[in-house]
Amino acid sequence: MNPADQSGAQERIAQARAGNAEAWGELYGQYAPAIFRFCRRALPTREDAEDATMDIFIKVRQKLGQYDSSRPFSAWLYTVAANHCWDVLRRRKLRQDLETGEVENMPLEHPDPGALEQLLERHSNQEVRRALDKLPARSRMALVLRYYADMSYDDVAATLGVRRTFVGVVLLRARHQLRDILGEHRAANAAAGGAR
Amino acid sequence: MIHFDEMACLLYLEGQLDPERARELVAHTGECAACRTLLRALERESHFLASALTEENESMPARLLSARGWAVPSWVWTLAFGIFAAGAYWLWTDGVSPWLDQLSNAGFGGTDLMSMVLFTGAFWEGWGNMVDTIQIAALIVVVLGAAGLIRRRLRRSAAITGVTITVVISALLFALAWPQPAAAADVRRGRAVSVPASETIHNDLIVAGPSVRIDGTVEGDLIVFTRDLTVTGHVTGDVIAFARQVLIDGIVDGNVRTFSQNATLQGSVGKNVSAFASSIDLTPKANLGGGMIAVASDADMDGKIHRDLLGIIGRSDLDGLIGGQVWIRGGTLTVASTSEIRGPCRFEGREQPVVAAGAKFASPLQVEITQEVRRSRFSTVRLVIHEIFSYGAAVLVGILLVTVFPGFFYATLREVRIIGLPIGVGALAFVIGVFVLILGILLLFVGVGAGIAGVLGMAPILYVGQVFVGAWLGIKIMGETSNNTNATIGRIAVGLLIVHVAGLVPFLGVLAWLVVHLWGTGAVLLGFYRMSRVESAAVPA
Repeated sequence: MNPADQSGAQERIAQARAGNAEAWGELYGQYAPAIFRFCRRALPTREDAEDATMDIFIKVRQKLGQYDSSRPFSAWLYTVAANHCWDVLRRRKLRQDLETGEVENMPLEHPDPGALEQLLERHSNQEVRRALDKLPARSRMALVLRYYADMSYDDVAATLGVRRTFVGVVLLRARHQLRDILGEHRAANAAAGGAR
Repeated sequence: MIHFDEMACLLYLEGQLDPERARELVAHTGECAACRTLLRALERESHFLASALTEENESMPARLLSARGWAVPSWVWTLAFGIFAAGAYWLWTDGVSPWLDQLSNAGFGGTDLMSMVLFTGAFWEGWGNMVDTIQIAALIVVVLGAAGLIRRRLRRSAAITGVTITVVISALLFALAWPQPAAAADVRRGRAVSVPASETIHNDLIVAGPSVRIDGTVEGDLIVFTRDLTVTGHVTGDVIAFARQVLIDGIVDGNVRTFSQNATLQGSVGKNVSAFASSIDLTPKANLGGGMIAVASDADMDGKIHRDLLGIIGRSDLDGLIGGQVWIRGGTLTVASTSEIRGPCRFEGREQPVVAAGAKFASPLQVEITQEVRRSRFSTVRLVIHEIFSYGAAVLVGILLVTVFPGFFYATLREVRIIGLPIGVGALAFVIGVFVLILGILLLFVGVGAGIAGVLGMAPILYVGQVFVGAWLGIKIMGETSNNTNATIGRIAVGLLIVHVAGLVPFLGVLAWLVVHLWGTGAVLLGFYRMSRVESAAVPA
């Protein structure tokens, strides 16, 4: 966001804080699509994402007074959204791999760079998103926080409740899991092609 | 040559590797093709992931888009409601009304059971007053809760729903005021629970079962949930009974509180009696040391009541002694020659009371003949004025909810839209809620704090439900709003107007209110649930 846009957003935030419904409507219009997509990536179903988006904006409107205007608004918004989505997953007991111990002890096979390049070339964005749906909650959330919301390692660590030093491990593990799922997908497609 | 592992490469790409190690990595990849390829592959993977995740592949759902837009009148909904209203009017004028006239001509009009219970019965009118009282109480609680929250918001901008606080405090009061000895009570269950004459229970007794008979002695309170209760023995404390048939033929030193179909008292009660029953029979042998509060469709008072008698009773027969004042509101009153009333006596009813010649009064009987208010005559000025006030109060509550508890309001509004689930939850809550309400009313006479807390805890939920159904209707007719307060209030006002007008339609109005209450109550409860989920998620400052 360029400085002019940013100052425009800050002005709208100030107006929304003062109870200006139109300013709030503009803020909503500006950020809701991105937050909906974020929720869509982080949560299992489209309905969950819709519910979460509404909840997040209800909460943001209530807590607008707590927003520190020295931080970028979108970063704050994503932090609220991330906490909310993570809480939704926690309540549904989908956070199976919460313990950091298993992350520490996890052996990771060194990848073949050539095979990795091939894997990336042969899959569409849609296939990657489908594979993302099959990841464990924390791996999925880590990838979404880092590569969708562009969150810092500190913020990812705070949201997921892991030590900062483990964020890289969580991300790398998530990538490996994603590669495995994509690899299986490719193998299954190849087998189906061979059968024909 | 020592290669860098994948973790180090990833951390380098993410800018997380310490500077010295980053320099080493750069130097190494300048010489090592394998590590260079890995680094490039990981970088491509990062871009690929970001691209796959940020791609705008899905459109925004309509309900999220519309929350951004402004009012778009939905003529389909307006038309649908118009057709519905016209249909209801046609059904009434051409269908139900002539049919009722035929019945009336055949001698079933006005005095038939259904009309009595639904429209003209004193029993119903009594409950109507009670509903009004609850409505006022609910309004007071909501206003007090709002006032408390406004104060809180002035100090700190965090918005925590005051309704939750009110309900929790009410529940706490309710719990605190619950009769303490119950915790240490003797509990018995069975198909036919009996305490024989030879047995003495040195404790409170709580009994549940189809049939309960107490011939022995209970040195404490007796709390009973049963179909048939017979007490011929001695209870030194209170008797609290939820039963179809209640017969008190023994001695109760404390109070008797009963909610039953038939209540017969022919023993001795040391203190007061509160009876909610279809039929109450105080036989000549009955002797009440205190007063009596009766809500019944039919009551024969042949025994002795040493203090006051207060009643909302459809048909009352007074034959015995009443030591204090009498206040009865209802349909008819007959005072037999054997009766003696030692305090002032006031009767409010539709018909002139029938007083036998020998009846003794300490002061002249005061009579107020009330006009028969048929709910079916919905055009009466009184009813319309009442409805206007009721509508105004509901809109006021709606405004308070939107402005003071916006989080709770919008969360609940979303639940209303699901329709089926909130109606189901509301029906369930109604079944449980009615029980709590009854218990609350009974406890009103056991412990004032407990009773008020119980009733007030339940009433706001029942009352505010209509606001959400009204808001839903308003939004359906006038279109979505983007959480704009004024626009939302406008929709609430329009929706509530429809609800209240629909509520005036004879027969169908009762049905409409039932649906509104079930639906609204369910949505409010789901809204509370939703808020509890939302509030618990951490929010950064």
